[in-house]
Order: sequence, then structure tokens, then C-alpha cells
Amino acid sequence: MSKVLTANKLIDGNSVWLNAQGEWIETIADAFIARHDEAVAALEETGKKAVSDNLVVDVAVIDVKETEQGIWPIRLRERIRSHGPSVAYGYEALVQEQTQAA
Amino acid sequence: MYRYDEFDHAFVKERVAQFRDQVERRVSGDITEDAFKPLRLMNGLYLQLHAYMLRIAVPYGTMSPVQMRKLAHIARTYDRGYGHFTTRQNIQFNWPKLSDIPDILEELASVEMHAIQTSGNCIRNVTTDQFAGAAADEIADPRPYAEILRQWSSVHPEFSFLPRKFKIAVTGAPHDRAAIQVHDIGLQLVKNEDDEIGFKVYIGGGQGRTPMIAKKVRDFLPEEDLLTYVTAIMRVYNLNGRRDNKYKARIKILVHETGLEELKAQIEAEWQHLKDTDLKLPDADIDAITKYFEKPNLADRAEGWAQLAQWKKADAAFSGWIQQNVGPHQHPDYGTVTISLKPIGGVPGDATDAQMDLIADLAEEFGNHEIRVTHEQNLVFPHVALADLEPLYRVLAANGLATGNAGLVTDIIACPGLDYCALANARSIPVAQEISNRFGDAERQKTIGELKIKISGCINACGHHHVGHIGILGVEKKGTELYQITLGGSADENTSVGQIMGPGFEPEAITDAIEKVIDTYLELRSSDDETFIETYRRLGMKPFKTALYGEKTAA
Amino acid sequence: MSKIWTKNGFQSENEWGYLSEGAEYLSVEDAKGSSEGSLAVRVEPADDVNNLSDKLESIAIIAVNFPAFADGRAFSHAALLRDRFGFKGEIRAFGQVLLDQVPLMLRCGIDSFEVSDEATIKHLDAGHIPGIEHHYQPSMNEPAKANSYSWRYMANSG
Repeated sequence: MSKVLTANKLIDGNSVWLNAQGEWIETIADAFIARHDEAVAALEETGKKAVSDNLVVDVAVIDVKETEQGIWPIRLRERIRSHGPSVAYGYEALVQEQTQAA
Repeated sequence: MYRYDEFDHAFVKERVAQFRDQVERRVSGDITEDAFKPLRLMNGLYLQLHAYMLRIAVPYGTMSPVQMRKLAHIARTYDRGYGHFTTRQNIQFNWPKLSDIPDILEELASVEMHAIQTSGNCIRNVTTDQFAGAAADEIADPRPYAEILRQWSSVHPEFSFLPRKFKIAVTGAPHDRAAIQVHDIGLQLVKNEDDEIGFKVYIGGGQGRTPMIAKKVRDFLPEEDLLTYVTAIMRVYNLNGRRDNKYKARIKILVHETGLEELKAQIEAEWQHLKDTDLKLPDADIDAITKYFEKPNLADRAEGWAQLAQWKKADAAFSGWIQQNVGPHQHPDYGTVTISLKPIGGVPGDATDAQMDLIADLAEEFGNHEIRVTHEQNLVFPHVALADLEPLYRVLAANGLATGNAGLVTDIIACPGLDYCALANARSIPVAQEISNRFGDAERQKTIGELKIKISGCINACGHHHVGHIGILGVEKKGTELYQITLGGSADENTSVGQIMGPGFEPEAITDAIEKVIDTYLELRSSDDETFIETYRRLGMKPFKTALYGEKTAA
Repeated sequence: MSKIWTKNGFQSENEWGYLSEGAEYLSVEDAKGSSEGSLAVRVEPADDVNNLSDKLESIAIIAVNFPAFADGRAFSHAALLRDRFGFKGEIRAFGQVLLDQVPLMLRCGIDSFEVSDEATIKHLDAGHIPGIEHHYQPSMNEPAKANSYSWRYMANSG
């Protein structure tokens, strides 16, 4: 059982994860991994406090796998949160369409 | 189109200041997230998977080039260079910061736009026919009434905390392009035997978890009674709509549980008290608002007829675009033009800032300064001279905006799905892209003919799957995405809710399944002219089910 | 700690007590059967205020309950009491009374507020009522007709 703490920052809405230094960072790669119940409870406490301090919103403890490539969330939803939309968007999407059409 | 007067400008300015103050109090901690959420939603601000999302109102889908340029500017300055046009005729941005929202709203206010009531449990942006004021089959222009409703519903003191969201749609033509029967209130403009204008009134339509087709409560509501009658409906709903379960809170459930006759009696009783109050509309006010929507003074351009015939002969792609994307106009020398935001393999409804700027320029040059957003996530120029179609097409084509697929299999409605949305269970956009690529060939699409595919990434049905000829609903099963297919839905004057075919399909199998359904239709149709929905209505689910699941399951 | 606010500010006197601290108001049902005068009545979200229509002469104060921020039924209760039945007594909001709803509550004819949220108290005390002066609908607190379309009004600044 490996879990990390995630949320969105209040001020800009960006997805963030908690690292070992207690900072909210914008990549999951360096998130602090809780591997036993006490550590998970500590994450939950940290999350609650960050919410009441108005730093983050929508805080959640999520399940992850530890792989050679790094932290890999179990749920697709969380993978999309950590790695971005699965589809190209904006200008990137336009280029993709035009390449396909050509 | 409607232009703000001093009152409107002052109102929106106050609303921006009010929201700025709310954001400041949220950041300082004076408002908790629980209390702030309904406040931000009421101003169109969601928190999604990656960031906040701001939904900006495009009242009844009508926009000027100046407004479109402002949206391009916002995309460029505060977001990631693109925006997403929605099934509510609005536009949303996927990456703004909370701290920038008040400034964005101030920018919008400068061009008579806002984000008021684009979300939340209040009366939402009023929607209508994208061809209003131009369509050849129109009885009366619905926009003046939509505008009156927009004003009256803005920051309504009594109806800002309803049991659930509330959507009103108005149509002015017998062919319903505004899907009024799947709205909480649907209004259809009609004339009585004395040639007076009024409304057929429907209530209780909706999609979501429990799709229902609206029920008629009035055959003819005189126009002067518009606001008093809608107030009566709202008050009965606000007091009696269920608040114990958010999936049972829409007015459709109240209609269903109370019974149409009983609820109608309650509404009529409430209306008796309201009908002669200050909300009874004076003719002068209706006339004054209607003046804003006067028919444009379009010059005769009869030369377009011969030119068009020639251009069509010379260019098959242009001819295909004309056939699908140009519709009849009240003026014989003009047409309505649909600018498809569904390029083959693209993201339905997305446009970059440069495309928005370009569309604004083209609307000024060829489109009589008017732009519409459709609930099918395309854009429309409602008044284009036939003589201007060819030059317009050339520029659109050079910028990826001339896909001739309006109403065809690749003109897919899709919600943002799990790629963006915090409520979604499955992705919608990749499914739309794969289907679009599979059927991208122009000839193949033409052979298939009119076919509306609509995709939702969860049961809330923002992608209108219930009313797709082919609907696709994404669900999450055991941690993976699964797609259910429904057939036979429709959102026009013959509204119907699609039926579920059977077990769902995995992401890798959904496009094949859709292709099988379409191939079955092509084999079964009685002639090349019989559309998918007609074939389905003639033959029912069984042959499609057999084709997809085999004899046993279909029995 | 609850406090009573009206548009004249926080009130040092509160003859009816605090509902949040158990003040006894009559239910709509009991008020209907009462023959006394100067009643204090509480209206719960599911109540029908029509049941009070022939009792209003003997009611001094009606408290309308906002059990949660999102429950907006009391807006309609207040509007009906003022507009339909012409109730002239005090209408008091209680429950979840938060700053951003106060302007809407005032417009629906509510004229006193039992407030306990600290931030709300702070802002009301500072005279900060975050409302909008331009209205696209009639209100129950005597707005002025705007010099415009029939549905437009200006907030009563008095």
C-alpha cells in the first residue's frame, strides 16, 4: 500500500502533491509516499490543516504504485491529474490535425 | 443584437466588484471553501482536475466580433491559447488562476460580457436557435424574449439558491434547433388565431441520470405574461423541489412525482396572484427590446446565384461544404453558414486564439458583424451573401475551419470528459477523435448522411448522449473505462430518449462497435434517403443488437 | 455567540431570544391554533406560509430558517409573506446566515438577522454589505423604479 497526498492550490487551482519537506509541489515525481497507516494518518492531518489554512482545496489521499519510472497513480483520474490531459490541446492539437490531414 | 445601456453596464460593473471582494475574502480566509463554492459557481468558476475552469456566458449564443476578439485575448493572456465552446452556447477556459478571475471579468465587462449564472443552482444562460433572426422557417425571433429572461433572471433575489440548476430554452421555429423539450422550461413561439404572439410552454425536460421529455403546461401563453408565468413556475419549484437528493432535485422529478395536472394547478394558482403585478410586460418594453434585434439591412446580391453554381461545379470540396454547412436564409441572396469546430480528429468545440481572431475578422468582412455559438459546439455566421461564400470558404479552409461536416457523423458533441472534468468517469475526447478519424473520409460521411453522435463522460450527460441518434456514455467499471451505446435519441421537435443497446465496450473496441452499428444501418436502410434515425424508428433496436452482440442476446 | 443585525446595525436589545440558543418560537401549526396576540413564529423550510395567512395580525415576528447555505426556500417564504400577505411585522433569518446572502435576504423582505459566523459579524459591523444596487426584478424592501424597463429597479438607499 503506497499513498500520496494531493490537492489543488487555492490561489491558482493547479494540481499539487505534498513532498517530504511538507511543501506542495506541482509534479507527482517527488511526492512523499506513505507506506503504513501512521504515515497515511499524518498525510490526512497535513491535508486538513492545509485546507483550514486556505492553502489548498479538494485534498485527497490517493493510491499509487511505485515503479521504476516513478510514482504511478492507480486510478486513471489521478494519472490524468498528474500527467495532464491525454489529448493534445490548443496549438498542439491544431498541428496534429493538420499533420493527419496532410 | 442587444447592446448594454447604462443600467446594464453599471450592473455588471457592480457584479465584478462583488466577485472581486468575494475572492479577496476567500483568499484571506473569511469565507470557507464550502461557502465559497456556491458563490464561485454562480459566477461560472469551477475547480476541475488540473485547474480552475471559467465558463463565460454567451447569451443565447449571440456574439459580436469585438466580443470574440476579447475571448481570443483572454485565451492568450490568461489561459493556454484556446477556449472550448459548449453545448450551452457558452465558452469555457480550462486553465485560469483564481487570482486572475476578477481581472478577466473586468475585461469581459468592457465588451458587455460576463460569467453570471453559467453554473450553480440558479437560472442558467438562456439558450435558443443558432439561426434565430435568419432561418427561413422562423415564426418570430426568439432572442428578444431570451434577452428579457436573461435580464429578469440575473441575480434574482428569490431564485439564486434553487434545489438544482435551471435551464430555459426558447425557439421561434417549428423545427426545433434549441432542444427545448430537454430543458427545465421550454418555450416555443407560436401565433394564435388573432395573429398574436405567445408561447407554448413546456416544463420538466432534462437529461442527466433520469432523462425526461418535457410536458406541455400551456398551449398559448400571451407574451405579456412571460415573466409572471415563469416566476410562478420558479416559485412552485423553489418551494417544492426535492432537496434531499441532488439526483432528484431537478424540476423534472417534481413534475414526475407530483403529477403534471396537480403541478399545473399549483402553477396556475400561483400565477393568479402574479399575473397583474409589476412583472406583466408592457408592449412598449417588448417593442424596445425587440428593436435591438431588427432584421439587418441586407443589400440584394443576386449575382451570387450564378457565381455559386459555377464555384460548386469547379470544386467538389467547396460544393460539399455548401451542401452541409450552408442553410436557407430569409433573404434569398443569403445563407446561414456553420463554421465547424469539428475538424477530423480534432477536439470538438475547441478553438485557438488565432482562430477566434480570424473568425472575428471574417464576421466583419462577410458576416454582417454577427457570430453565433451553437449547442452542437460549432459557430455560425447567420447572414452571409451567396456571393461571398467562396472567398469566405477559402480563408476558413486555410485555417482548418472549413470541415464540411455539419450534421454528419463526424459532427460529434462531446463533453470535456475525464481529460478535464472533476465529475467525469471516462474520457470523451479521445473517443470522439477516433470515431472522427475512422469516418473522416468525405465521401463516406456523405453516404452515411445525417447522423448525430453525442458522447458524455459521465451520467450527468453534458455531452447529450441521451438525445444522440447514437449516444455514447462513458462509465468507470473496475477501474477502467467502459462505453455504453444508446440508439434512437433525438433533440428536435420529435424528441426521444435513446435506448441502451447492451453491455458496454472497452476503449479499444468502442469505435469498431460504432462502425458495426453504422454498417448495419447502411445495409438496412430502405433507400439512400432514409436517415439513420428513420431506419432506427422503422426497425427498432433488434437488428442493431443482433449485429453487435449476436442472435442470442438480441432475442 | 449570536448577534442580531438589522440595517441599523447590531441590536443590543433582543426581546425574542436567540433561536440558535433555544429561544421558543411557535411552529406554524401551533400558531394556527393560538388565540393569543404578539406571537413569535418559526417557519421551517418545508412549511407552507399560506397557513399563516389569516393569523398575521397577531404575529409580531416570523423567523425563517436557512438550515444550509444552499437551501433557498426561506427566500420564497419571506417574499410570499411580504408580497402576497402584506405582513408588516419583523421577518428574521436564522440558521446559516452568511454575508453574501444578506443583500438577497434584504431584497426578499427579511429585515433582521441572527448571525453567528464571525467573519459575517465583522463585515456587517464594518458596514460592508456586498450587494448590487441595480436590480432586474422587483424586491420586497421598497426599491425605486429605475427610469428604464418595467422590470428594473434601484436599491432603496435609505
